Amino acid sequence: MYIELHARSAFSFLEGACTPEDLVHAFAAHGMPSMALLDRDGLYGTPRFYLAAKKLELTAHIGAEVTAPAGRRYCLLVASRQGYQNLCRLITRMKLRVKKGEGAVELDELREAKEGLICLTGGDEGLLAHALRTGGTEQAAKCLRELCAIFGRENVYVEVQRHFSLEEERRNQAAIALAHSMQLPLLATNGACYATPDQREILDVFSCLRHHRVLANAGRLLSYNSERYLKSPAQMSALFADLPEAIANTVELASRLKFTLKDLGYQFPVYPTPDNESQIEFLRARTWEGMVHRYGTGNERAVQQIDRELAVIEKLDLAGYFLIVWDMVRFCRENNILVQGRGSAANSAVCYSLGITAVDPVSMELLFERFLSEQRGEWPDIDLDLPSGAQRERAIQYVYQRYGQLGAAMTANVITYRGRSAAREIGKVLSFDPETLNRLASLVSAWEYIDSKDTLTRQFQDAGLNLEQHRIQKFFELCQTVQDLPRHLGQHSGGMVVCQGQLDSIVPLEPATMPGRVVVQWDKEDCADMGIVKIDLLGLGMMAVLEDSLRLIREHYREEIDLGRLPANDLAVYSALQRADTIGLFQVESRAQMSCLPRLKPKCFYDIVVQVAIIRPGPIVGKMVHPYLNRRLGREAIESLHPSLESTLARTLGVPLFQEQLLRIAMIAAGFSGGEAEELRRAFGFKRSEARMKEVEIKLRRGMESNGIIRETQDKIVRSITSFALYGFPESHAASFALIAYASAFFKCHYLAAFTAAMLNNQPMGFYQPATLIKDAQRHGLRFKPIDVASSDWDCLLEEAPDGFRVRVGLRYVKGLRKEIALQMCDQRRIRPFDSIEDLKQRVPEIHKDEFRVLAAVGALNFISSKKGFHRRDALWQVERSSRWSGPLLAGHPLTENQSGESSPLDCMNPEERLNADFRGTDLTIGLHPMAYQRKVLQRHGISPAVQLPSFADGKFVRVAGAVIARQRPGTAKGFVFLSLEDETGVANIIITPQLFDERHTTVVHHSFLVISGVLQNQDGVVSVKARAVEPLLTASAEMQSHDFH
Amino acid sequence: MAFAAIFVPNFRLQAVVRCEPELAIRPIALIDGPPPTYQVVAVNRLAARLGVAEGMTKAAATQFPGVEIRPRGKLQETTAHAVLLDVAWSFSPRMEDTAPDTVLIDVDGLASLFGAHENIAASIVSKCAEMGLTAQVALAENVETASVVARALPGATVIPEGREAKFLESLPVHMLSLSKELCEVFERWGVKTCKALASLPVISLCECVGQEGVRVHTIASGNGIRSLVIAEPAHCFEEFFELEDAVEDLEPLSFLLGRLLDQLCARLAARSLAVRAIHLHFTLQPSFESAFDSCSEAIRKKELFSDYVCAFELPVPCRDAKLLLKLVRLRLQSTPPHAPVQKIHMLAEPSFPRVTQGGLFVPEVPDPEKLELTIARIAHVVGEGNVGSPQLMDSHRPNSFRMHRFSVASASAQQVDRNGKMETKIGFRAYRPPVLTKVNLRGGRPINVAFLGRSGEVVHASGPWRTSGDWWEEDPWQQDAWDVEVNFPYETPPSQGFYRICFDSRQKKWFVLGAYD
Repeated sequence: MYIELHARSAFSFLEGACTPEDLVHAFAAHGMPSMALLDRDGLYGTPRFYLAAKKLELTAHIGAEVTAPAGRRYCLLVASRQGYQNLCRLITRMKLRVKKGEGAVELDELREAKEGLICLTGGDEGLLAHALRTGGTEQAAKCLRELCAIFGRENVYVEVQRHFSLEEERRNQAAIALAHSMQLPLLATNGACYATPDQREILDVFSCLRHHRVLANAGRLLSYNSERYLKSPAQMSALFADLPEAIANTVELASRLKFTLKDLGYQFPVYPTPDNESQIEFLRARTWEGMVHRYGTGNERAVQQIDRELAVIEKLDLAGYFLIVWDMVRFCRENNILVQGRGSAANSAVCYSLGITAVDPVSMELLFERFLSEQRGEWPDIDLDLPSGAQRERAIQYVYQRYGQLGAAMTANVITYRGRSAAREIGKVLSFDPETLNRLASLVSAWEYIDSKDTLTRQFQDAGLNLEQHRIQKFFELCQTVQDLPRHLGQHSGGMVVCQGQLDSIVPLEPATMPGRVVVQWDKEDCADMGIVKIDLLGLGMMAVLEDSLRLIREHYREEIDLGRLPANDLAVYSALQRADTIGLFQVESRAQMSCLPRLKPKCFYDIVVQVAIIRPGPIVGKMVHPYLNRRLGREAIESLHPSLESTLARTLGVPLFQEQLLRIAMIAAGFSGGEAEELRRAFGFKRSEARMKEVEIKLRRGMESNGIIRETQDKIVRSITSFALYGFPESHAASFALIAYASAFFKCHYLAAFTAAMLNNQPMGFYQPATLIKDAQRHGLRFKPIDVASSDWDCLLEEAPDGFRVRVGLRYVKGLRKEIALQMCDQRRIRPFDSIEDLKQRVPEIHKDEFRVLAAVGALNFISSKKGFHRRDALWQVERSSRWSGPLLAGHPLTENQSGESSPLDCMNPEERLNADFRGTDLTIGLHPMAYQRKVLQRHGISPAVQLPSFADGKFVRVAGAVIARQRPGTAKGFVFLSLEDETGVANIIITPQLFDERHTTVVHHSFLVISGVLQNQDGVVSVKARAVEPLLTASAEMQSHDFH
Repeated sequence: MAFAAIFVPNFRLQAVVRCEPELAIRPIALIDGPPPTYQVVAVNRLAARLGVAEGMTKAAATQFPGVEIRPRGKLQETTAHAVLLDVAWSFSPRMEDTAPDTVLIDVDGLASLFGAHENIAASIVSKCAEMGLTAQVALAENVETASVVARALPGATVIPEGREAKFLESLPVHMLSLSKELCEVFERWGVKTCKALASLPVISLCECVGQEGVRVHTIASGNGIRSLVIAEPAHCFEEFFELEDAVEDLEPLSFLLGRLLDQLCARLAARSLAVRAIHLHFTLQPSFESAFDSCSEAIRKKELFSDYVCAFELPVPCRDAKLLLKLVRLRLQSTPPHAPVQKIHMLAEPSFPRVTQGGLFVPEVPDPEKLELTIARIAHVVGEGNVGSPQLMDSHRPNSFRMHRFSVASASAQQVDRNGKMETKIGFRAYRPPVLTKVNLRGGRPINVAFLGRSGEVVHASGPWRTSGDWWEEDPWQQDAWDVEVNFPYETPPSQGFYRICFDSRQKKWFVLGAYD
């Protein structure tokens, strides 16, 4: 028997060419009981290696190749938990003290961390080979003596590898002689870098990428043969027939490696309770306090639910976890950081009572098992939505501060080779010329929709490339093989892990690019699989908008609004939703949502929950949207999949729309327990496995069979589960989002000025450009004031006027103006108003000429002058004059009033010039919409404004024109393209057929202003124009931007 | 003083059409830029009428049926510019090379040769037309006015003295060759015409935009006073020719090459120079649109590329076009281009004609140029790349080497090992080509070998040493090499030897690679 104890995976980043799973499958196929993975400077791949081995009931040994000075490597195997912790700390120390990708462990550090580790002498890059190369046998003997002194004789193995290389064999003979003379054990390994011989090609490609070469000139940097694959015990025994003890020692050494990741020793931090109260007691007390606040007294259902949940929490010993999340939420509240839990946590009444979530799971009858179940044995998943930007960073820094730099870290995000970047890198390595490279890279389709005729061969043919050519074929094969192999380690946007003791003894830590942050070497899936609790602190733009709105309302309207106590069933909100007047609202502003709203006509909060969830790939692919809408409009009878499911599906009119419903269906129809139902969802969910899906389906059908459900209904149920598990929304999640959607609609309807200013201050976010948000607000009666250095701040502000609030557009919208300059101007202005452009220049000397010019061009300097009729061109003239260096003679002597004369010989801008200057300098205008200037001409050509469209009859031939504010080609729409055309009266929805799009592709994609002729469709109040012809509108020249999803 | 400005409108397009006059009657668009974001950079009137405009992407331009899309021809532009300079020099030695599409000449004193200003202007226009360029010419008392008006008005224009401002007033300011920054300033100011610019107070303008403002104000007012920057004659001699139909046969190709060589030699002779080297560059079919197909050929046959390049270093400078053509033909016969020729670019390196006298007491040695010629002749017989000195390549492939240019090697220092002793190296005599052999194996190890009529028993074998590579090429290789000690007991007297043998896995054959000394 032979056991491979030195192998690398692609997690050695460019030094290994297969996944840890590939290695596991290979060693399982060879009948080895165990194997060791030694990636370079990290344990990145160990969770995947361990889990894959565990599934096959095999043992995964852990180790790493750790960089030593002069490019050598210590090959270390973990024998015990102590050894594992030492290895993690060793790598962490090395990584944290230098820049990413650099660093080496020192001998002293190794001496400190030797406990529980076994040292191999390594292959080509190992210590022994290096010593033999540089100093011959003498140096090699010294090196071995050094290792023995550190690790002890019994923990040093002289490694021999055989890859049919003469040079290597020479070294082996020297090593064997040394081992015999020093009485050290020999160990045969193959230093495997891939699972199968064909993966050598990927390793060669990686070698090129590592050394910035191409295959043609990489020469001896490439492998000399394909022998570094995982060999079978028989092959290895044959190779080392002359050294049977080297083979036998592999089994002996493997038996000494007692540690696996099962004994990770992770402990979630204990929440420090006052007065030595137990955590569960403390949690119980906080929950009941919160419950009274949330439900009042006497809500029996809530009491029962909370009791049940607390029992499960106690049984699973999760009280500490809930308290820690509660603590974070409390920190946010105390520091005025808006926070809301989302995801499956919203299914928990305990979370609701603790203030972690804002959705009442009791009244909404949400399924607790979706969040937490005894069977699953997993940590619950609580995601917290925070305002994006500085506020979220404050929350993250609080976690670091609370648990220490080595007690908390961000989870990693393993960036893999995918699509265009993979194609580009491989093409480069194959020496394709830039043109071919671009063609190949462009084959990765940019649009979301992929034509059914778009086979790979056709795509290659269209690009003028023949798949039969050897190199093109190789390119294609390599691109396929390299997919999903790790490329580098990034940082997850919000996932954090915390640990009781030192996190660096659980998993190695690395510095993140962002100062003050550290990252663990595992991604969030691996952390979850290893039972490490992760808390997602996610940044949500709309949370920032709500937070800013609350502040503006407090400051200007003098009203204090509690998001948790917004008036329910507000008529204005539902009226706006029913009219699809939703530009700027959270989750319901997209074109697809807008075309659904007038049909669904939300009347209560639950309708918004449905609305948020229904426009998702799950319901769309599962063909649930139309049945639901038809039933809602009374055009279809409400029927359930099965009589027993009536109560489950009653709220959604017999159509399953949420993941929870599918869980309940499985529980009712097939008798699954809550945990089993969640298992089912996961089997059909993200990481799909054919075998597992089949297994669960059989179980499901068996359950349904015993409940007397006929085959046909079974098929329907299985089909709906399949389409939903991956793409459907959990009801709790939809409810959390619906709350934010409702709040955004409430603010827009009642505090439009504050909401609009907050939206404008948190761009980019959402579906529409600021220009569209402003036009929409103007149509709702809001008035704006122009950018003005005498009044504007960096952010948009509210200004009071007798007839309501105005929004003063902020300096942040002046293109190219640096924030520090804008703030300096504001500071100076507060000391004393500017009395001229020259004065501004003198007091803010760091301002660049270009910044000054843009300010003048957009009219921001018009109000600085005391002269009546001072216009933008006067400002531009003066800007040029004051920006010129006056020379050493006159330096420090500003122009006299007479010299700086405020007039100019220039004519003032006409309206069209002003419009163009606005778009060029700010991407928006608060003046007339560009289309308003064209209206008279357009009318003469029979072009209708958008506002008139709803008044036309269905089927009428119409012409509309406007600025394209959004282009979409969704994957679920069979190649149809949807445009939103904005004019001064509103937005017209355009549908373009695939055929017309093919014909007029350039016009549709490249022109900012279009004229569309087509047939009006007015179905249930949803108005759109099905285009027959598309023409560019060349008379409009403003540089408007659209939001394109392609 | 009077000056003429010659401006070639739509220069990029004219440079292409000059080589292919038949394109003039077809809608054509030139594209340029980094692939794949090619943009239209020039269109003729016919294409513009169909809707093609500068700045469009290639994809957009292809949507207009009938429009011929061509890549911008930078070399054709260079040639066209050289022609423009030739035209200018043929009128006056006082010439300014202002831009690729513009030259200015001092026409003072030309009246006795060409007559009145109108005649001079007309002569220039017609001379340009003879050379295949449609030019706009303007004559004025000052250089700037001539230059601006030539850019703005078609045909030949003569601006009477004192009426410069009148001619300029309606012209847009961007005609004044402004810097980008000033152009943007004027655009922001709404200053669109020369008249508007001329009406601005000059001192205030100077305060705002500096001396450049004063300069353009003066030009816009028709009061320019600058003098010419006289251009030096060029030292670059190249000819460029793009064929409409690619040429495959040597005869028609030789005809074209002969014509180009004649032109080059004539130009050089006029400057009392000779050819030191000729660089010939053919662009082969298939061209632009399916460049990759030819690249795939290159993959199949490594030595072939989509371009054909060759250079002739001449032992002595000469300007004998016939001799040069003979050399070129010889080269093309021995290594012909593997595909029809689409474009020809010929560059002559000029040199002064060689004037030497042999020393009376200098011993006669082979002339370095003769040596060069000899090597060239050998190369012609054995093929390029088969003459020179061998050099090891950076590859795992056994015995991989390439030939590099012959030079006298310096004596190599003997290697000394760490202990200061001379390091003994085993000599190895490689058999080229490797000798096919028959090998018997037992347990995967060689036991007998037979080659070159000898048969022997393997006493010791060490191996296999396995190497493989070039998997991305169409001819990857893999071989297992063994070092063997062979006894030849049947020979008289019995002998023995040490050899390296290998099994080529691709050919499934055994070879003897060589013998150890």
